[in-house]
Amino acid sequence: MTSVKSLLTKPWIWSFLGALLVWLATIAFTGGYGAGGMVTAALSLAVFTVIVGVGQMFVITLGPGNVDLSLPANIGLASAVAMKVMDGNDSMIALGLLAALACGAAVGAVNYLLIWALRIPPIIATLSASFIIQSIDISYGRGLQIKPPPGFADFANWQVLGIPVLAILTVLFTIGAAIALQRMIYGRSVLAIGQNIRAAWLAGVNVGRIRFLTYTLSGALGGIDGALLAGYFRGANVDIGNEYLLASIAVVVIGGTSVAGGKANVPGVWGAALFLVLLLTMLNTFGVSAGVRLLLTGLIIVGVITAAGGQKALR
Amino acid sequence: MKKLFVLGALAAMLASGTALADTSGKKIAFSNNYAGNSWRQAMLDSYGIVTKKAVADKIVGAADIFTTADKEVPTQAAQVQNLILQGYDAIVINAASPDALNGAIKQACDAGITVVSFDGTVTEPCAYRVVVDFKDMGKQEVEQMAKFQPKGGNLLEIRGLAGTSIDDAIHAGILEGVAAHPEFKIVGSVTGDWDQTTAQKAVATILPSLPDIVGIVDQGGDGYGAAQAFAAAGKPRPTIIMGNRQDELQWWKEQKDKDGYKTWSASIAPGVSSLAFWVAQQVLDGRTDIPHDLLVPYLAFTQDDFEAELPKIVKGGVASHEYTQEDAIAAIKANIK
Repeated sequence: MTSVKSLLTKPWIWSFLGALLVWLATIAFTGGYGAGGMVTAALSLAVFTVIVGVGQMFVITLGPGNVDLSLPANIGLASAVAMKVMDGNDSMIALGLLAALACGAAVGAVNYLLIWALRIPPIIATLSASFIIQSIDISYGRGLQIKPPPGFADFANWQVLGIPVLAILTVLFTIGAAIALQRMIYGRSVLAIGQNIRAAWLAGVNVGRIRFLTYTLSGALGGIDGALLAGYFRGANVDIGNEYLLASIAVVVIGGTSVAGGKANVPGVWGAALFLVLLLTMLNTFGVSAGVRLLLTGLIIVGVITAAGGQKALR
Repeated sequence: MKKLFVLGALAAMLASGTALADTSGKKIAFSNNYAGNSWRQAMLDSYGIVTKKAVADKIVGAADIFTTADKEVPTQAAQVQNLILQGYDAIVINAASPDALNGAIKQACDAGITVVSFDGTVTEPCAYRVVVDFKDMGKQEVEQMAKFQPKGGNLLEIRGLAGTSIDDAIHAGILEGVAAHPEFKIVGSVTGDWDQTTAQKAVATILPSLPDIVGIVDQGGDGYGAAQAFAAAGKPRPTIIMGNRQDELQWWKEQKDKDGYKTWSASIAPGVSSLAFWVAQQVLDGRTDIPHDLLVPYLAFTQDDFEAELPKIVKGGVASHEYTQEDAIAAIKANIK
């Protein structure tokens, strides 16, 4: 019983509970029909939010004011770069993924350059960077859909016994990210900077290097996400990353990571991403109109954050 | 389309003697507010092809294109005011807002400038509106569906951007079609925002809970995403109405080659910009009988002619159609009642 109690004190448990509740409500509505298919769809779609969510989580954990608003533009550009390098050719997949990764990492590095060299607050630096990136993308892609090679599209849609392979790989990646956050010097440094940047500096943490690495990591994850999105949705386009501006921040917050920085957890990103997709599943299944759907999404997110936050206030 | 050409030729014969004024010295400006997607790129291309030829043929003096960098209303309002000062005789406009630009449009009208809006039309009464008959398009989707699925069955509807007049019109047409064909029943409705990614995501989430679907009625730009969502869920492929995008028609061709898959495709042609240009030219020509609201046909492809169109569409783009002066005269004639 003590294990259940200790589980309830974890900030990330609330996002999983929310996801479970929403799923149960949906299958109660359909009489159990399609329960497995919903989980498969949720896993397939949550993957993309998880990947950028983890990057955003590291950035937000750096402390107040740190946020990466360039993710949507970054995803859009990287998806176009990856598809153009692959050029419909299966043998170029690895090179295309590398190009997307490099493109994303470059965006992240430029973000930090703006923050560090010009002393622009991150929120403005990443926002203005996103305008520049988007303009590059429009002139680079000419607003056209660019198709992935068939092998890459099949890989992105590959399922084993109803479980998307991409989801399994992303679970492995998030386990790595959790270890990096909690057990490695890099992760501990990010947490230390988020708790008190001056104390971290006095304790010998190389603040500049860690922040640079974190923005670059977030950018690189956005880049790889763009390539995977273009594979799964079979086509790169300028708007492909649009929803990940708010979604990447929402999963971090719903997942129980502190917006003020210094406190983070990786499992919550998964719970929150599944919760958001299942919420969309529920509202689509109930057949509510577009306006009501947005309203309910807002109210339910507020509800979950309040439940998770209320628990913290008790301590 | 064939009917339109015959009508156009007839109308051209009738109208050939009615030109009242010479437009060869007239200048027509095109005010556009966004260029970032394949539809807008095709719109600008079609407009450029048609107007360059019109200038070379000395039908008009100049036809310049002005695109603002963002989708903002104030930028475009300022742009329209500049065009007034620059002395253009007519402005063709794809407006950022149906009513927020009315002030600038009214100023243009008061300065004696002809304003023709299309796609993003304006409500200011002095302007002309070239509007595609979206309601008929929605109705026709169900009519076509009845041909492919004569036994009827369950339909999934994919809606467009919520709150827009286009979404309302197509939806109303679909409802009308379903009322006329009681063998069909809409069992699910999702919002796809005319976007492949959004549509695929929305369909993927609702699909597990749906009964067997025989057909999908949608609004264009969402058909390919819907097909992918069905494939990913391992569900049998329904009859999906397409929306003239290159990837949609390409997918249709692949399916047709495989097992004779049949469907229908319709959307607003980006080249409707060129139709708006000719309407402006006709007004400058001195015609006073042109209705301010012009309902024009949508661009449709059937099982027989879509493959001929496919190679003409740029990869990842959308099918377009450049309208001629005769098309415009025919469209105007069809709207005079």
